[in-house]
Amino acid sequence: MIPPTALSTKLGRLHLPNPVLVASGTFGYAREMAGLVDFKKLGGIVPKTVTLNPRPGNPPPRTAETTSGLLNAIGLDNDGLEYFLQNHLPWLASTEVACPIVLNIAAKSADEFPRMAARVKGLPGIAALELNLSCPNVAGGIDFATKPDLCRAVVASARDACPDLPLLAKLTPNVTNIVEIAQGAADGGCDAVSLVNTFLGIAIDWRRKKPILGNGMGGLSGPAIKPLALRCVWQVARAVNIPIVGIGGIATIDDVMEFMVAGASAVQMGTVSFYDPTAATRVIDQLPEALATLGVSSVAQAIGLVSKTWHPAI
Amino acid sequence: MDSSCAQQRPCAHKSASVLANDQLAERTWRLRLHGPEVAALAQPGQFFMVRIAGRTDPLLGRPFALYDTVLDGQGGLVGLEIVHLVVGKMTTLLSGLKPGDSVEIWGPLGMRFPAVPDHVARVTLVAGGIGQTPFLAYSRELLGGRGFAGKSAQKVVDKVELVYGARRESLLAGLDAFVQAGACVLPCTEDGSLGLKGRVTDGLDTLEKPEWIVACGPEPMLYAVARWARERGVPCQVSLETPMACGLGICFSCVVKVASSEQASGWDYQRVCIDGPTFDAANLIDLQK
Ligand SMILES: Cc1cc2nc3c(=O)[nH]c(=O)nc-3n(C[C@H](O)[C@H](O)[C@H](O)COP(=O)(O)OP(=O)(O)OC[C@H]3O[C@@H](n4cnc5c(N)ncnc54)[C@H](O)[C@@H]3O)c2cc1C
Ligand SMILES: Cc1cc2nc3c(=O)[nH]c(=O)nc-3n(C[C@H](O)[C@H](O)[C@H](O)COP(=O)(O)O)c2cc1C
Ligand code: FES
Repeated sequence: MIPPTALSTKLGRLHLPNPVLVASGTFGYAREMAGLVDFKKLGGIVPKTVTLNPRPGNPPPRTAETTSGLLNAIGLDNDGLEYFLQNHLPWLASTEVACPIVLNIAAKSADEFPRMAARVKGLPGIAALELNLSCPNVAGGIDFATKPDLCRAVVASARDACPDLPLLAKLTPNVTNIVEIAQGAADGGCDAVSLVNTFLGIAIDWRRKKPILGNGMGGLSGPAIKPLALRCVWQVARAVNIPIVGIGGIATIDDVMEFMVAGASAVQMGTVSFYDPTAATRVIDQLPEALATLGVSSVAQAIGLVSKTWHPAI
Repeated sequence: MDSSCAQQRPCAHKSASVLANDQLAERTWRLRLHGPEVAALAQPGQFFMVRIAGRTDPLLGRPFALYDTVLDGQGGLVGLEIVHLVVGKMTTLLSGLKPGDSVEIWGPLGMRFPAVPDHVARVTLVAGGIGQTPFLAYSRELLGGRGFAGKSAQKVVDKVELVYGARRESLLAGLDAFVQAGACVLPCTEDGSLGLKGRVTDGLDTLEKPEWIVACGPEPMLYAVARWARERGVPCQVSLETPMACGLGICFSCVVKVASSEQASGWDYQRVCIDGPTFDAANLIDLQK
């Protein structure tokens, strides 16, 4: 029997009761899911990205289904940081939720990250900060994680502004070499990198002669991107000494195990919550048995089991 | 972007077996599902997400209105019905289901139809095509034929009229069910194959001035009905069928512009799945044109 404590995991300074979180933008502000999902079971909740100032978001249609995937261009629709702190955080931090809350923030300019980080410094109820360096739907939002130096500088500025909170850097896969970006984030002092945000894509209605999304292009998520996201985790795990949160198309316990043995210390489940709202808590229940099948007795022993030891046959 | 939280409403996620699947009209099917728990929570105007388990294409659930609850001989709740028009991947699969097959269903979702003001004695429902689906349960409720969500049946208004438009007769589904529920049905077909030849607004022109309109159907029809009602000073509610990725309020894909005095722009995006699907037409920015 694997005891519940064996499910805990560490992302640098961030300790989580288990490695399965729900991803930003795919679980609203969590309250919408009250009654359907037992929050206490979750490894953590990452609420929808918050920006310094309110943003109305992109014009609809904001999503389009593709083969085994979903394209979205929501455009960081949110009411701004102050509204979040007043109206969402108190409930998220309450005993009704009782699981770690990772605040995900995005910025229009590099100076907004430290400003926001400084604002939340010392506030109760926030377990960690996740910098969304990678939203493909906002002009400028993608640039921070496309150059290693810029990525390092932004991460370092947020860390300086709020030194006590564990810091995650969420990266875009839409780069030539994700390893060097992850290295930049690690050099900037983050506790872990979250890999990955959505893949840039487009859906076109040729009969109406226009893109389906109101914004034109969007980010692809869901089962369709799993092998791509897994590859990102694999590459970074083999090259950079930094804990990884694996994200992308994770829907089943098999997916969770694949990301862990590829090197992820935790995972986030996103799109699956739309079509299988209780998927995250279900895979947590299935985790002990899967670890036993792998022949290990804790999550810690599973992390990187394949990526850290495998070599191509000569 | 209004993210004010929907109050928590009871909602269940179940695997439901198919009790029957019958074709009602051209490309239009009625799916009867076993599910007393889910049916016991549902009220007219609410909807469900439906999906076929174990496959990723189609991936997401699809929203369908509560069409009717299903009772056994003793009046006990057995399940619910949805009626759908075959338009794409999921609806094609649903139309092929056989009794004993199962689907995933979660709900009820969204707000029920808003309360009819006390002084209103006659409700005019306006349906365009498959937009008729939320109105059968509603007609039953308004006329005291059936209670929902644990409430006993109670007559709310004296009369329910249904103005039901479609391109042609073969697309009109379930007229007899509405008649049996006690609604006065006025079919309108564009080709005149049944009822009035013309559109639903032509049908509205033939009625005594409505007191309270509730409309559901394609967007151009909602524009026309909202304008018709506004020009005559008739209160008008519209139920929207915006594409939805989750139906739960967590993806922010289903937004619509709603008038808001708090915003400098005068409007704010609201989520149709939790703040709707029914809105007062006077508050929908796009319907003011
Ligand atoms: C609250 C609510 C209640 C509803 N109730 C009912 C009901 O009771 N009965 C009923 O029949 N329908 C109802 N609908 C509509 C129903 O959900 C859709 O018809 C259904 O999702 C179609 O699924 P599909 O897989 O068959 O079609 P899909 O394969 O998803 O495609 C349907 C059609 O829409 C087009 N399309 C898909 N996505 C987009 C997009 N983003 N922008 C533009 N075009 C797009 C496709 O090209 C295709 O022509 C309801 C919708 C809502 C929101
Ligand atoms: C509708 C939608 C909205 C999203 N919004 C955000 C967001 O606000 N911030 C963010 O960091 N990621 C956002 N994401 C990305 C997800 O968190 C996740 O990185 C991505 O979807 C890949 O995981 P998945 O395949 O499990 O969904 C969003 C994804 C979707 C589908
Ligand atoms: S459909 Fe996802 S928020 Fe409305």
